[in-house]
Amino acid sequence: MQLIKPLYWILVATCLAASPLLAAQDRDDASNEAQQTAPETKGPHGGLLLERDDATVELQIFEQGVPPEYRAWVTKDGKPMTDGVDLNVQLTRLGGQEDTFDFAFQGDYWLGDGVVTEPHSFDVEVTLALNGKKYQWQWESHEGRTRIAADIAEKAGIRTAEAGPGSIERTLTTYGRLTTAPEQIARVRARFPGVITRVNVRLGDRVAKGDLLAQVESNESLKTYDLRSPMDGVVTERQISVGEIAGDRPLFAITDLFTLWAELQVFPGQRTKVAVGQKVLLQAEGFNQQANISHLLPSPNNAPYTLARVKVDNPDGTLNPGLLMAGDIVVETLEVPLAVENRALQPFRDWSVVFIQVGDTYEIRPLELGPSDGTLTEVLGGLQAGDRYVVDNSYLIKADIEKSGASHDH
Amino acid sequence: MINAILRFSVERRFLTLSLILVLVGVGLWSFQRLPIDAVPDITNVQVQINTEAPGYSPLEAEQRITFPVETALYGLPNLSYTRSISRYGLSQVTVVFEEGTDIYFARNLINERLGTIKNALPPGLEPEMGPIATGLGEILMYTVEARPGATQEDGSPLDATALREIQDWIIKPQLAQVPGVIEINTIGGYNKQYHVTPFPQQLLQFGVTMDELADALQANNTNRGAGYIERKGQQLLVRSPGQLASIAEIEQVVIANRQGAPVKVSDVAEVAIGKELRTGAATRDGKETVLGTAMMLMGENSRSVAQAVAEKLKAIQPSLPEGVKVEAVYDRTTLVDKAIATVEKNLLEGALLVIVVLFLLLGNLRAALITAAVIPLSMLATITGMVQSGVSANLMSLGALDFGLIVDGAVIIVENCIRRLSQSQHNGQLPLRERLQLVYEATNEVIRPSLFGVAIITVVYLPIFSLTGVEGKMFHPMAATVVMALLSAMVLSLTVVPAAVAVLLRGKISEKESPVISGAKSVYKPALLVAMKFRWLVLGSATALVAVCIWLATTLGSEFIPQLDEGDIALHALRIPGTGLEQSIAMQTQLEETLKTFPEVDKVVAKIGTPEVATDPVPPSVADNFVIIKPRDQWPNPDKTKDQLVAEIEEAVTQLPGNKYEFTQPIEMRFNELISGVRADLGIKVFGDDMDQLLASAKAVQEVLETVEGAEDILVEQVTGQPMLSVHPKRMALSRYGLNVEDVQALVATGVGGENAGLIYEGDRRFELVVRLPETVRRDIDSLAFLPVPLPDGGYVPLSEVAELELALAPTQISRENGKRRVVVTANVRDRDLGGFVEEAQARIAQEVDLPDGYWLDYGGTFEQLQSASARLAIVVPITLVIIIGLLVMAFGSVKDALIIFTGVPLALTGGILSLWLRDMPLSISAGVGFIALSGVAVLNGLVMVAFIRDLWHEQGDLMKAIVEGALIRLRPVLMTALVASLGFVPMALNTGTGAEVQRPLATVVIGGIISSTLLTLFVLPVLYALLHRKKA
Repeated sequence: MQLIKPLYWILVATCLAASPLLAAQDRDDASNEAQQTAPETKGPHGGLLLERDDATVELQIFEQGVPPEYRAWVTKDGKPMTDGVDLNVQLTRLGGQEDTFDFAFQGDYWLGDGVVTEPHSFDVEVTLALNGKKYQWQWESHEGRTRIAADIAEKAGIRTAEAGPGSIERTLTTYGRLTTAPEQIARVRARFPGVITRVNVRLGDRVAKGDLLAQVESNESLKTYDLRSPMDGVVTERQISVGEIAGDRPLFAITDLFTLWAELQVFPGQRTKVAVGQKVLLQAEGFNQQANISHLLPSPNNAPYTLARVKVDNPDGTLNPGLLMAGDIVVETLEVPLAVENRALQPFRDWSVVFIQVGDTYEIRPLELGPSDGTLTEVLGGLQAGDRYVVDNSYLIKADIEKSGASHDH
Repeated sequence: MINAILRFSVERRFLTLSLILVLVGVGLWSFQRLPIDAVPDITNVQVQINTEAPGYSPLEAEQRITFPVETALYGLPNLSYTRSISRYGLSQVTVVFEEGTDIYFARNLINERLGTIKNALPPGLEPEMGPIATGLGEILMYTVEARPGATQEDGSPLDATALREIQDWIIKPQLAQVPGVIEINTIGGYNKQYHVTPFPQQLLQFGVTMDELADALQANNTNRGAGYIERKGQQLLVRSPGQLASIAEIEQVVIANRQGAPVKVSDVAEVAIGKELRTGAATRDGKETVLGTAMMLMGENSRSVAQAVAEKLKAIQPSLPEGVKVEAVYDRTTLVDKAIATVEKNLLEGALLVIVVLFLLLGNLRAALITAAVIPLSMLATITGMVQSGVSANLMSLGALDFGLIVDGAVIIVENCIRRLSQSQHNGQLPLRERLQLVYEATNEVIRPSLFGVAIITVVYLPIFSLTGVEGKMFHPMAATVVMALLSAMVLSLTVVPAAVAVLLRGKISEKESPVISGAKSVYKPALLVAMKFRWLVLGSATALVAVCIWLATTLGSEFIPQLDEGDIALHALRIPGTGLEQSIAMQTQLEETLKTFPEVDKVVAKIGTPEVATDPVPPSVADNFVIIKPRDQWPNPDKTKDQLVAEIEEAVTQLPGNKYEFTQPIEMRFNELISGVRADLGIKVFGDDMDQLLASAKAVQEVLETVEGAEDILVEQVTGQPMLSVHPKRMALSRYGLNVEDVQALVATGVGGENAGLIYEGDRRFELVVRLPETVRRDIDSLAFLPVPLPDGGYVPLSEVAELELALAPTQISRENGKRRVVVTANVRDRDLGGFVEEAQARIAQEVDLPDGYWLDYGGTFEQLQSASARLAIVVPITLVIIIGLLVMAFGSVKDALIIFTGVPLALTGGILSLWLRDMPLSISAGVGFIALSGVAVLNGLVMVAFIRDLWHEQGDLMKAIVEGALIRLRPVLMTALVASLGFVPMALNTGTGAEVQRPLATVVIGGIISSTLLTLFVLPVLYALLHRKKA
């Protein structure tokens, strides 16, 4: 809009027979809002310059290569002060938490005792006692903070929860097929060769231990003897019919299908986390069962994975060997003192943050995070138990805080 | 030559008059062809090349598509510059040509170049040129909605997918037929797709892969023609149909055979109607909707095309399924009609006032009618001229027309004729010959001054013609129309007016001066005599007045172009980059519900993200809202101003979390999207290759700028902020399992993005068949790590074993200009002159910012326009002044007289400035045009007055007597021209209708200025003349 005035002038100038180049370009829409809340001048060290009468304090949060700390330079009548200074900075954060810093001279500057923790959003009160004279400065220094009226927040679906302890279950998803263990297949042979005189079972029949399978007439003794099932199971093979000669070959296979084994493939990247005894949630279509890892054994054929064997109960025989199972192995269960819900977490600058709520005000809390599962993440630092934090629609708070940066670029 | 024309007109008066018929005929014919719109078209000559690239991230879109396309365009004739953006799923290259390039020529060139790079682009991607439309192209928007409770044939509710299908296959094909419509652009709803969603576990179970699934679907979904055979003299066509037609059929497709058992699609996957991965959505009044936009072909008449589309929509309604409602939500006709109505009303009322004034002052109805007849005739001639020169009728071009100014020349001529006729009729009626001679003489007496007056007004418009760019496009039509109207009026007063006077003013012309004039004279004469006595006092106070007004002018605010109030509000709702579509819709819903609580708001529709044809490629975080306002009489308080309403709306919506707003208007928004230059005072573009380096350099520039005095609102273009999940293949691990990088990529692309496996035909309608993981799996990025990657030998390995998943921020979009990546730093300047600021910034940046090799800066922004405009005007304005003075000198053969007339101009301007100040209006170009018109009137009046006084003086030899007598004789024409010119503008100055804001300042300036100018002509001019010429006397 800088173009207007010169052009206007040029038009008038046409008529006034004056040169268009006299055009002044002052703008009349400069906004001069008197907001003296925060000191705006910068000192020679790049910090905020606080001035009152003859004393100045330059206050800086220094965070290059060290955790953020306060550094200050104090002058009186333009002369740097190296002692006799009682400087105190008090930060009041959202929720009422107060951090107080006292300063000690450190060769070149006055150093505050303690780390200025993120976020650097607080009301600052600086008190300086110098030669018995007191100076005080106050201002607000807010970042990552926004206000949303309660009814609007409610309408927007913003919900909060209280941060507290939680239980974190970390799982690994693996797949493997169901198999039967060798001990679960019994191949029944005739003890003495002979003629089968009777067969009592058919393929697929369920048999109990001791049930009669067949009768054989021994070639040597010509006596008929019984073949009985050595265990409970299902007849999965029957190689013989009445009248045939039973020789060396197995006549029946009895398989115990009431117990199956899921052989889950654990890949090298997952191997270290998996141990015998861990809980496993087994899933197949229409099937869910909880079990434990019984064994870990190397895979056959030197394949790069390990097999985790899990016992699967199959009392009604709905599962078959060869069926693919998904197994979520619970590799870690933690009871943590402080955890937040995963959907509450949002990336903010380089941090993972949640937004705490105090009244209508919301502010970021950069978190130090521990282990996480599908729903919860442990908080190691940055949040107090009992803080209310935004769970539902946390993105909206992030969007509101960052919105000044939203633009319509083409 | 003028004499010859005049003589011809008077002698062959009937022939001349019959020429009117020709003019009327041509004018009416042209009127049918006059393009009508609300505002002038300010779009540059540009072609958008859109390439849709489903699934491509900004980086890939840039590397694979944008770069080859840009490279292909190098060296196009008339090319001005190219700019491009690459973002998710889209590459858009905008090619801007030099002004005046024929758009079809440009498109042909581009088409040819694109043909040569077909092979360089990834297969399946097709660059397409955007519709041949301008910023005025979006003439009508409509929504397709379901009435509550409406269901589809199968009983399911009419959802967004079904509505989109209706839009795509019933409404759009019919609307696209309407003449003048180039494109129907759709946004919202979901493209219907058939989704085959395999479960990873089932795939493993049966040992089939997603690739095999997709292949099987493709291999079982074709019809094949097989030629013909002749049998018993008959021709038999042979064909083997095999297309899949239903979900049940898709489920039965066999993927593989495992130990003799067929594995069917239904064994491993679910088949259902699914939702596409869309890039945009539409909402209306807080609910999702399907929004269609009719785009008008460049150069068409927006009013008639919009009307035709609206009618067609009504005709389509009965053909829609029960319960579906299509409704126009934005119709350009409304605005155009309103704007035209405003102009019409102004012009009609102005014309009426002019006729009344003429009648009152001339005291002769015939003479008044002759003069007034100039109005429609010159209008018809102007329309013809507009059609010929391609100027459209709109608020700007018609807004500056003042019939008072137009008839000025005719007024002077007719007035003089009447005076002379009535004088000579003291001795009874004149014979024809004498009368004709008298008319000729009377006309000749004043024709020169009025010709010079018109010539001077025309010359004064020259600087406006030297404006370029957007300003030029905005104001050229205005200047051109005014000049055409003045010229045609001049030709008319040279030909038709004398002829008509000769024919019509036959009877007795009484010298009865109208009481108004005689009253005025009785006041004027003593006043003039007093003024002549206190010459220095008169001159002194005039000078003082000018000085005061110059000071006053500096205190007035300024605006460039007065905003045309389009009636409706458009507002951008901006959310942070990276915001997802669903989230954006949720936020939008809340916004629209808030907007709807205003009783003034009729409808709210919004486009979120990019429509089907990427005319405005924005990410899902940006929503274009159209707030349709009810007619004023339905407001609870019809006196509320629009600004007030906007302020109230702004206050209400800023309470909503997460949105930032930019208020604008529908057409304005579209212009901004298309022109899309740097709109800040200064824009520093950093060019280079590496995004991080570009950003770092831009930040460095920003830091330097912050220390330059006067810099404000310094912003670095936001380029990052798009969260991206990268799946980095681990090459070692891959080799261990015998996999290729591509296997992993294909799995992720198919699984998450989906793979097209052919089309399902339903008659004309065709829908994509897509293989994609189920929503539950693809949405959960934690479980993605466990996604099984099939191995060549039939086993599997989890994705996390062979690839690393990383979540990081990536560029939202990559902007390029002239074939290079760029990041813009913008700044505005406060309390400092722009030129000096730019100079200092350039010097400081050159010194303090160290750019790596291969990186460079470019300075742009409005300061460029200012500089070029200043440079051009610095030449044009002095030339204009010389021409004006030259014309005046030519007219009088005396520099002194020329200067006397010329010095009158400032006094005329004082009235304009005062009236602006009184009405609290800012200076604007519109007001500037008013000043131009004003100076023309002042010169015209001065000319006639001085010419008369001089002639009298030469005749009689007594200066003082000549001055008083001349001034008295000229009182009537001066008052008449002043009154017609100012009264003609009164309706314009007072109107509040649509578009009045453009015309109000102009009218205000003219009315105020003419009052002061009349005083000047009547008092100061005679005084000055007397002062400067007394030595000679």
